Amino acid sequence: MNKKQRAPIVIVRFVVLLGYLLMVLAPFYWLFITSLKPKLDILTTNIQYWPKHITFDNYIYLFETSNFHIFFKNSIILSLATGLFGTCLAVLGGYAMARFKFRGHKLVIYGLLLTQLIPGVLVLVPTIIMYSKLGLTNTMGGLILFYTVGTIPFSLILMRSFFDRIPMDLEEAALIDGCNKMQSLFKIILPLMLPGVIATFIFAFVGAWNDLLGAVMIISSDSLKTIPVGLNMFIHNYDIDWGVMTAGGIAATVPSLIMFAFMQRFVVNGLTDGAVKG
Amino acid sequence: MKYVRKNEPYILLFPSFFLLFIFLAYPLLSSIMYAFQSFKLTAPNAIGFNGIENFKAVLTDNNFPLIMKNTLIWVVLTVGAQFILGLILALSLSRPFPLRNVYQAFVFLPWAVSSFVIGLTFRWLFNTEYGPVNDILLKLGIIHEKIYFLSDPKMALYSVIIAMAWTGIPFFAIMLLAAMQSIPHEIYEAAEIDGAGIISRFWHVTFSYIKQTILITLLLRTIWVFSSAELIYIMTTGGPANSSNTLASYMFMKAFASLDYGQAAAIGLFFMVLLLLFAFIFLRLTKFEKAGNL
Repeated sequence: MNKKQRAPIVIVRFVVLLGYLLMVLAPFYWLFITSLKPKLDILTTNIQYWPKHITFDNYIYLFETSNFHIFFKNSIILSLATGLFGTCLAVLGGYAMARFKFRGHKLVIYGLLLTQLIPGVLVLVPTIIMYSKLGLTNTMGGLILFYTVGTIPFSLILMRSFFDRIPMDLEEAALIDGCNKMQSLFKIILPLMLPGVIATFIFAFVGAWNDLLGAVMIISSDSLKTIPVGLNMFIHNYDIDWGVMTAGGIAATVPSLIMFAFMQRFVVNGLTDGAVKG
Repeated sequence: MKYVRKNEPYILLFPSFFLLFIFLAYPLLSSIMYAFQSFKLTAPNAIGFNGIENFKAVLTDNNFPLIMKNTLIWVVLTVGAQFILGLILALSLSRPFPLRNVYQAFVFLPWAVSSFVIGLTFRWLFNTEYGPVNDILLKLGIIHEKIYFLSDPKMALYSVIIAMAWTGIPFFAIMLLAAMQSIPHEIYEAAEIDGAGIISRFWHVTFSYIKQTILITLLLRTIWVFSSAELIYIMTTGGPANSSNTLASYMFMKAFASLDYGQAAAIGLFFMVLLLLFAFIFLRLTKFEKAGNL
């Protein structure tokens, strides 16, 4: 593989990679520069591909005048709670799946893989009916529950694969040294697989952070809306304020980008270990 | 060596499976029941069984053939574009080059961004008056009149497909790249010694090694794209006049906008049958049993 490639192939690869980079970045660039333009420069047919007058007014309006800070707070609470609950459940269940032999072991794994094929839209309608009977509609708890349940199968599969990578000997050594099983789990194994725990948390967090349809169906009061739902109210208006909307889009993206940048190196590994949902 | 204990694994798995049964399995099964009920939030006193009325209403709806046609176009074009572009990207990424990690971090960006923000961005890109796509196409002389990307019934579906394909390329690329990186180097060297050219190497080595990954990814992506309603909802809400509605977005709109849960559940059941049928045929055709690593 270390042999030099022929020149035409190198050039083709370079062009492909550059072209794809442009294709990915151009929409984000357009989103970003729009958020920095004053209204007059946005609504003009003489389109500025480089903003002439840079302003932060859109962001100031977004955070000070609109309800965005409420949506932001709701999204943070919701995603943290989903990440926390999802990860705790996955640590317990993943440990059981990786470390124990038990009846129905295969069934559990196939069952979890199967749930990955169930489309969310399909679950949504009966869930809403059930939620309205249980009084869970339009509550933060109900929404957290909805996302936590949604994240369980993937988190369990992911967590199990991380447990599988830690050699059993470590635990046995800890047991011989007088730890009990829970002590060895929390004191020896979990610290070792902290990257896995963090990756699971981030997947659950970002899933909840980015979802729109679940929150649209479950939440109706303004005070409980998340960022996508809150901003979505404005996107169907005839006269969209694109400056504020794009600023909102950027503000909604930054947290999940930071999370993903943080876990970049786990993504490929985690995915190839049998995870399936994009 | 694994522990053999009677209760411990069940106790550890109980919380997860309790929630999955109550809030995933039960609702799914109950939706079968709702499909045969009149269940409109607008008429809460008229809830009750109505036989196959919901199915009749849905299947005889004038828009239904259009929606099925849209669904087919949506799935085939989106998955096809994602696969071809994802494969090209994965091939280009498969050999090391300077700053490859930084490059990967950038091109996998769409994956981390919410559908909402992507929908918002593409709505704005495709804006007829002030959007750059029309502007650039006009300036390059490719078109001579502005295109109404999202409000022209002939264009709306394809505009959303572009956004959807763009979003899904990284997923394909990651899966294929991971598979390519597991191909032993010696095989390429052996092929080269045997005088295999670049195309023959791709076909006989790369492709035959990653075939199973391609099949799994295609299956998963098809199901995922088939069920994905978010971008459609955000960019066009299925319009104008259902011209960009697919089965998934139509179902969501039935539940969300018309509050007719009975009909939505009937579409859902139809949807499930289609999915199972697709998965079955796909597995049969591709002899999936040999696909290994799950």
